[in-house]
Amino acid sequence: MSKTRTEWFSTFRYMVPADYENWMEKLAADGWNIDKIGQWSSIRMVFKKTDPKQYRYIFDIHTSAKRDYLETYRQFGWEFVGQMASCFIWRKEYTAIRPESFTDLESIEKRNRNVMNAVMVSFILFTVITLVMIAATLLSSSSMSSEETRQMILFIACAVLFSTYLGWVVWKIYHNRDR
Amino acid sequence: MDYQKIRKRFIPMSETMFFILFSLREENHGYGIMQDVEKITRGRIKLGAGTVYQSLSKLESDGLIQPTQEIERKKQYRITKIGEKILSEEIERIRELFQITEDFR
Repeated sequence: MSKTRTEWFSTFRYMVPADYENWMEKLAADGWNIDKIGQWSSIRMVFKKTDPKQYRYIFDIHTSAKRDYLETYRQFGWEFVGQMASCFIWRKEYTAIRPESFTDLESIEKRNRNVMNAVMVSFILFTVITLVMIAATLLSSSSMSSEETRQMILFIACAVLFSTYLGWVVWKIYHNRDR
Repeated sequence: MDYQKIRKRFIPMSETMFFILFSLREENHGYGIMQDVEKITRGRIKLGAGTVYQSLSKLESDGLIQPTQEIERKKQYRITKIGEKILSEEIERIRELFQITEDFR
């Protein structure tokens, strides 16, 4: 049996923070653990086979996390697993009561709103880029060769797909903002 | 920020904000606040790290609390004059609610 397990594009598959946390928790319970999360972990993560662990994972986002942010979590007994851009991953082992980091609806919604806003920025950016590409293609279509037109259409199709995906992520987080 | 704007942002106050502000009548840090709130609510409210950090950031940026010092990497906070005024108003509002409901019993 393989002692490692590779997961690709995890943050793209589990966009709602609570789903990401539950996915990590389920893997740990099945004996798949990761001790360090880094910048590229949103693309590729390698889990090692260990004994099953009961971890509560937390996905939090902070664009400008200060030192006291890390200290506050540590004081509460959370282990810093790593960071992907401004996304922070914490965990705590437990036996009976599943620990929480966000203990009221207001703070759960605020965390989810922060994640949603970060995705929204990318969504707006990609939508603008897509519209500019469509306008540029329409304006210069007469002077473009058939090969250039084909390439441009391919770029536009990819940009439309990605923008649609980001829009769907925003919608999904919004509709799951209370958990 | 203008006092009326702060008032509008915090009154009525969430239970979490109320107890954090109430706890900071005495200097304390994040983890200490959680312990204090758990004690004064007899274990009913156990605040989490994310909630405490978010609440402290909001209270600090609106001037209701201020950092005082750092002891063993733990940032200490205390309520400000504005924070005390907002807390008093909120206590008065809760007292009024209580009085109204008592009159109906």
